[in-house]
Amino acid sequence: MADLKDRIEGLRKEFEAAALKAGDAKAVEELRTAFLSRKRGHITLLFEDLKSVPAEEKREAGRLVNELKTAVVDRLQALEAEARTAVRPARAIDLTLPGRKRYAGSLHPLTLFQEEIERVFLGMGFAIEEGPEIETDYYNFEALNFPPHHPARDKWDTLFIKGDLLLRTHTSPVQVRVMERSKPPIRIICPGRVFRRETPDPTHLPMFMQVEGLVIDKGVTFAHLKGTLEYFIRALFGEKVKLRFRPSFFPFTEPSAEVDIECIVCSGKDPGCRVCAGTGWKEILGSGMVDPQVLKNVNIDPEKYSGWAFGLGIDRTAMFAFGIPEMRYFYENDLRFLRQFGTK
Amino acid sequence: MKISLDWLREYVAVDLPRQEILDKLTMIGLVADTTEERDGDLVMDLETYANRPDTLGHLGVAREMAALLGLPLIEKDWPLAELPEATTDIADVQIAAEALCPRYCGIVVRNVPVGPSPEWLTRRIEAMGLRPVNNVVDVSNYVLFATAQPIHTFDFGRIGGGRIVVRKAKRGETLVDLDGRTLALAADMLVIADESRPVALAGVIGGQASGITESTRDVFIESAHFDPVGIRKTAKALGLATDASYRFERGSDIGFAPQAALMAASLLTRMGGRASRGLIDRYPRPPKATTVRLRLRRIAELLGVEVPETFVVDVLGRLGFRVDGAPKGPWRVEVPTFRVDVSREADLVEEIARFYGYDRIPSEVTPVDSFAPVVNRTRDRLARIRETLAGQGLDEVINWSFADPEREAAVASGRSPVAIQNPISNRASVMRTSLFPGLLENAAWNLNRGVEGVHIFELGNVFYWGGDEKHREDLHLGLLSTGLLPGAGFAAPAAATDFYVLKGAVEAALEALRFDPAGFEERDHPSYEPGRALAVLYRGQEIGRLGLLRRDLAASASVDGPVYAAEIDLSALFEKTPRAFEYVPVPKLPGAVRDLSFLMDRSVTYGEIARALGRLDQPLLEGFELVDRFSGAPLPADKVSLTIRLRFRHPQRTLVAGEVDRAEQEIVGHLRSALAIQLREGKN
Repeated sequence: MADLKDRIEGLRKEFEAAALKAGDAKAVEELRTAFLSRKRGHITLLFEDLKSVPAEEKREAGRLVNELKTAVVDRLQALEAEARTAVRPARAIDLTLPGRKRYAGSLHPLTLFQEEIERVFLGMGFAIEEGPEIETDYYNFEALNFPPHHPARDKWDTLFIKGDLLLRTHTSPVQVRVMERSKPPIRIICPGRVFRRETPDPTHLPMFMQVEGLVIDKGVTFAHLKGTLEYFIRALFGEKVKLRFRPSFFPFTEPSAEVDIECIVCSGKDPGCRVCAGTGWKEILGSGMVDPQVLKNVNIDPEKYSGWAFGLGIDRTAMFAFGIPEMRYFYENDLRFLRQFGTK
Repeated sequence: MKISLDWLREYVAVDLPRQEILDKLTMIGLVADTTEERDGDLVMDLETYANRPDTLGHLGVAREMAALLGLPLIEKDWPLAELPEATTDIADVQIAAEALCPRYCGIVVRNVPVGPSPEWLTRRIEAMGLRPVNNVVDVSNYVLFATAQPIHTFDFGRIGGGRIVVRKAKRGETLVDLDGRTLALAADMLVIADESRPVALAGVIGGQASGITESTRDVFIESAHFDPVGIRKTAKALGLATDASYRFERGSDIGFAPQAALMAASLLTRMGGRASRGLIDRYPRPPKATTVRLRLRRIAELLGVEVPETFVVDVLGRLGFRVDGAPKGPWRVEVPTFRVDVSREADLVEEIARFYGYDRIPSEVTPVDSFAPVVNRTRDRLARIRETLAGQGLDEVINWSFADPEREAAVASGRSPVAIQNPISNRASVMRTSLFPGLLENAAWNLNRGVEGVHIFELGNVFYWGGDEKHREDLHLGLLSTGLLPGAGFAAPAAATDFYVLKGAVEAALEALRFDPAGFEERDHPSYEPGRALAVLYRGQEIGRLGLLRRDLAASASVDGPVYAAEIDLSALFEKTPRAFEYVPVPKLPGAVRDLSFLMDRSVTYGEIARALGRLDQPLLEGFELVDRFSGAPLPADKVSLTIRLRFRHPQRTLVAGEVDRAEQEIVGHLRSALAIQLREGKN
């Protein structure tokens, strides 16, 4: 009993000394834990020890322990109240306030993606060429080896103005104009708006952005087409991306190839993938060796020169790259959409 | 084109896993967009190309498959149960428009029991996504999907006089087609007629009166070749597109017409009919076979790989080409009639490439000896404008080049809009003549969605008819600013945009390209509120407008509150020469600065002061800026105070005491006499 009394007295002194030093809420909390923690608190342990006190002394011992506990609890409450109302030193400046940023506008995602494409080709010595959006049937179709009334025109469903004027369905007319006015070697890309009579759906709109490319020189081969386009696509989508070239048809190239890129959304594992429909491949661009008739139409001798060309939809490629489900988002111009690309 | 694997196997004994078949077809250019499992069969929807009508039937696809796998193409026999009577005794065929119909074959099958098709046939028809009709109709569809050669079947009893005349339609003639539509025929349309009237629109659709019914007994089978352009013009003019016209307009196999007729006749005799003896085959002028010269060297030149000559000869042979010449070429290659796409050496090189395998052609970087980078000045300028305007806090938008004619009219750009003949919708039926309708729509869209301020720009073309009836396409820069400005925070409360925000953006863009100083002149314009618009000038020529948009115009786009907008004609601006870039040394000698506050009537403008100061010949005055503008109490209501900072410096020496005072007095005196403005008392 005497032993217990000593321990109680010792703890009381220890508590009071610590209480005097507890200057802030954190110290008060530590003190509470040391004395009242449900597992290891000093007072909790005292109650444990009470069990081994002989029966006749239990009453007195219990009173003393409870007295200590009450004193500790009351004092802690007072200390906590004090800590809450403590006067904190004034600050000259609150450095945690948010910084002041000058607002910078963001460029349109299609502009940014187009510039990304342009940079790759500029690095390979390509020039950027542009041309009119209202074109003639000759530049849009005939010069590109689409005979009049040929069903091949159906794939390039056209918006007509009047007479032989129409809205260009691709930027290929720019290629023709450049070939007409310059001599090989030619290496250009032609970005721009194009128009098709498409019923709008998530991946089709009557207006979109396209970039085409053209190389004409002596000794240009299909192997060059492959190597250059592989380099381009890997520059956009990463070194590891898988590609395949498969035969296709365009009136202005022969042979023609479409280039598929491995689906970066599902890698061919999701049969219901909305990007690749489970095929594992996503068509990314059309290409081919420039048709000899196209060269003849612009007075370039196909026996002397050869070339390759490609065309790619900027919108659809950007959708694929950024995971954007609907093409129309690009033209809704919702600032909450556009501004995200300020950091691209 | 739907291709059934079971059906394909009738022509080529391909025994490979399905995925491998799909992959192999893909790598020769026949990619399946979708596939469908049908009672143990695999139906592939193959993407086909406008130049390859031969692949619009199972036979053509099988030929490709056989060539790829080195398998034989299985030829089938089409035996006929024949009548003693000759076809020519009971029917007569006359071609009166040879250019539009170079070949026409016909045969009669008598006593055909018209009824449901046998199970094997309905299965084939259903695999093509069609509903079986009766055995005669199903047989003609079967032949079409099997061989890509469209055939037509007539009720022979309804062909007046047993006479078939292939001729152009006569003025005013009509035809009620199989679907019951009355077609008004134009004089350049080709019809199949009997002795008195048209019974079918050639190559497009049959007539109702001569169609197969339950009571038909004798069937006349037509298998012809029609001019692709003629078929396309007719089908387009009448807005009709049928499985037959789709194939004829791409070019059918003129050599196959007789076989297709016999195949159909054989199938109908198998169902109980008896065929007339001998096929009528009108083919007045069979063309010479197409031959193409092919050089081995050319293959390597175009593909960048040496393809062995044995491969070339072998693959062309398997595809049905006849190859003559020395073992290493050059070769004389005769093109089969079903390959209407091949007429040049490059076409043959494509065939070699397809079967050699695009994946086996190496990848090389396009070599370049040297190049002189061509600078695209316009693009560089646009990039600079974008950068500058983003720096001014404006976001870039891209709008449709199409516009709603009503909105166009409301903007009153003064340009005559270019209409689209076949627009997607009436609300997008003209080309835009101004960037404003799009920008206003963007403002409305964003304000309606809780965005508090819209400050945007667009670079794009506008279109209109010039006075000379020629169309114009001008590159414009459009800007719009409305609502609260961005960048507000705890230290700077949100402020509304105003006229000067927009003017500043325009000035910044022009300065960034050294198209400065720009002139601004107050000039009213129907797009703007009166007295709230400026014309923007460069070297005296108007290149744009800016100001407060007419309120009713903004309201019509559902935008309340003031909208400031500007449009700059970059095509006109870029024709001018910008100020040359010139380096000016940083001054080493100290200067002096004086801030002068002037009190003046509100009728006097800052522009007038600036012009007066600009004209002043005061060598010590290096420059000046407006640093404060104040009005309201204690100033009288009709007065305003401007504080102008004058910067003085002598180019060669330090300023001497007193000379700045004299210069300042001279300036104040000049402004007083020129504009009747004076220094504000007690503030100097």
